[in-house]
Amino acid sequence: MKRLFSVALGILTAIGGFVDIGDIVANSETGARFGMSLAWVVVVGVIGICLFAEMAGRVATVSGRAVFDLVRERLGARVALVNLVASFFITFLTLAAEIGGVALAIELATSVNYLLWAPLVAVLVWLVIWRVKFDIMENAFGLAGLALIVAAVALWKLHPDWGGLLHGATHPVVPQGEGHPSWWFFAIALLGAAMTPYEVFFFSSGAVEEGWSRADLITNRMNVYIGFPLGGLLSLVLMASATLFLEPGGIEPGHLSQVALPTVLVLGKLGLAVLLVGFFAATFGAALETGLSCGYSIAQYFGFQWGKFVRPAEAPRFHLVTLVSVVAGAGLVLTTLDPITVTEYSIVLSAAALPLTYFPILVVANDPDYMGDKVNSRFTNALGSVYLLLLVVVAVVTIPLMILTKAGS
Amino acid sequence: MRLTELLGAEVVDQAGQLAGRVHDVRLVQDGPLLAGGFGASLRLDGLIVGRRAVGARLGYDRRRMRGPLPVKLLFGWARHDGRYVAWDRVERLEDGRVLISGSADDLPVPEATS
Amino acid sequence: MAGRTMDAGLHLLDRQLIDCDGRLAGKVDDLELEPPEGGGPPTVTAILAGPGALSRRIGGRFGAWLEAIANRLRDGDDQKPARVSFGVVKRVGSAIELSVPRADLETNRLEAWTRDHLIGKLPGAGDAPD
Repeated sequence: MKRLFSVALGILTAIGGFVDIGDIVANSETGARFGMSLAWVVVVGVIGICLFAEMAGRVATVSGRAVFDLVRERLGARVALVNLVASFFITFLTLAAEIGGVALAIELATSVNYLLWAPLVAVLVWLVIWRVKFDIMENAFGLAGLALIVAAVALWKLHPDWGGLLHGATHPVVPQGEGHPSWWFFAIALLGAAMTPYEVFFFSSGAVEEGWSRADLITNRMNVYIGFPLGGLLSLVLMASATLFLEPGGIEPGHLSQVALPTVLVLGKLGLAVLLVGFFAATFGAALETGLSCGYSIAQYFGFQWGKFVRPAEAPRFHLVTLVSVVAGAGLVLTTLDPITVTEYSIVLSAAALPLTYFPILVVANDPDYMGDKVNSRFTNALGSVYLLLLVVVAVVTIPLMILTKAGS
Repeated sequence: MRLTELLGAEVVDQAGQLAGRVHDVRLVQDGPLLAGGFGASLRLDGLIVGRRAVGARLGYDRRRMRGPLPVKLLFGWARHDGRYVAWDRVERLEDGRVLISGSADDLPVPEATS
Repeated sequence: MAGRTMDAGLHLLDRQLIDCDGRLAGKVDDLELEPPEGGGPPTVTAILAGPGALSRRIGGRFGAWLEAIANRLRDGDDQKPARVSFGVVKRVGSAIELSVPRADLETNRLEAWTRDHLIGKLPGAGDAPD
C-alpha cells in the first residue's frame, strides 16, 4: 500500500513538474499562431524526454553517479568543458526565465510590477534550496503544479470542437499567412521546451539525492513513462486553449494574462486563482530545479562535493555556485529584459544544445562497467540513435533558422 | 614528469618518421610496494600511439563495451591504426615529442584491455 | 607475477576521488610519474588535482588563464598544483577511493576556505539535511 502511494506520488509530481515557463510560453505562442498544426512536436519531444530521462535516471541509480560526473570521465576534460560551458549558460538562462516567470505569476495575482517581485523570488528560491529537504521540495511543488489541470477543466467545459482540434493536430499543415521557416522555428522551440537539458541533469542528480537503488528502477520508469506524457498532455491543453481563444483574433500571447484568458472566461475568478497557483508552483519548482542544476553541473565537472543530502557546510562550493547563480538570475531579470523573450531564447538555445547533453548519456548507459546488466536494450539504443540524429539536425539548423526568421517574428 | 606531458606528444623514430601521437599510457601494477593499502605501485609499461583517440577515450576499445550500433561502428572503425611503444624503446622526451629507438614500422599492436 | 593492467587515460584520468568518509574530493586532473629510488621505469607517485593541474589538460589560452587564477589563489608562493600522494589511494574502481579524509588533502584548501569564509557563516550551514 505504501509502495502504491509512493508510486502515485512520483507520477503526480512528474506531471506537475513537467510544465515550466518554457512550456507555457512555447505552447501558447504556437497555438496562437499555428493552431494545432505543431502538436506532433510535443509528442516527439515527450517521447524523447522519456527516453533520455529514463536512461539518465537508470545510470544514476545503478552507478550511483550523476550525469555530468560521468560526462567528464567519458569525454575527457576538454570536450566536457565545452559541454559544461554551453549547458551551464543555457541552464542559467532558463533559471533567469523561471525567476521571471514566478515574478510574472505574482504580478498577475497582485497587479504589482514583476520587477519588484524578482528579488523576493530569488531570496525565496534560495531559501527553499538552502533549508527545505529535497523530496519535500520536489513533492510540494510537483503536486501544487497539478493546479494547472484547471486549464484542462476550462477547456472541457467550453465544449470545443474536439474534432476540429484533432483534425488540426493530425494534419500538420502550415496555416495561411504563415511561412514554412517560422513554422519550423516554432517546432524547434517546442522541442527545446519539452526536452530541456536541465531536466536530465536534475533527474539524474535527484536520483542520487534521493538515494535510489535498483529496487527503485521500476518506480523510476513509471514516473517517467506515465508522468511525463500526462505532463505533455497538459502542455497540449495550453496549446489548444491558445488555438481557440487567441488564434482567431491573431493575438500573440506576449503576456501571461493572455494565457490565463480561457480559464478566466470559463471559470471566473476562482479558476484564475487556481491557475495562478499552478503557474506559481510550476515556475517556482522549475526555478529550484534550474538553480540546483547550475550547482550540480559545475560541481560534478570539477568533482567537488555536491547535493542537498549532505550538510551545507560539507558542500560549500556547490552552495556558493547555486547562490551566485540564483542572484545573477534575478539580476538578469532586473535588467528589464522581457522574461518572455528570455524564455524564448532559452528554449531555442536548449534545442540547439541537446546533442551535447544526450550523446554522453547514450554512451554511458551502454557501458557495462557502470551499468552491469542494466545496459540499454537494443530497442532503446535504436530509438536513442534516431533521436540523436534528429537532435544533431536540429542543432545545425537552429541558429541559421533563428537568423532567417528573426527569431520567429 | 606529468602524464599530460606524454599525452598528445608526437612519437618519432630515429629516422624522423612519425609513428603517431600518444593517446594513452599503459600501466602495470608491479612496481615497488606503496606505503598505503594499494599494494604495488603502477609502473609505466608503454605508450599507446595512434591517430584517432576519440573512440578509445569513449571506451569502445574494450571488448565488453556495448553501444548503439551506429556509434560503435563509427568509433570502432577508428581504432585500427593503434601501435604500442614499450617504455624501454623510449630514448628521450623533448617538449611535445617522444623519440624512440628503432623504426616506427616495427611497432606491435596494443592488446585490448578488458 | 602479472600485475593488473590499466590505461592511465581511460581508467585514472578524470575519475572521481572519494575520501574514506564517502565525500567527494575532486577529480584526477593529472598524474605525477617518477622513476623509483633504485632506478627503473617511472611509476605513478601522485595524483594531481585542482585548477593548477586542470589548466594543462585544457591547454590553450583558456588553460593559461585558469593557471594564472590558480596561482593567485595559492598565494603565489607555490607554483605547483595540489598533490595527492598515491600512497593514500585505497582502491581503483569506477571511482578512486582514498584511505584518508578529504580534510587531510592539499586539494581541500579552496573548499575549506569557502566554508570558513562564506557558506559556513550562513545560518543553518551545519544542520543535518533531515
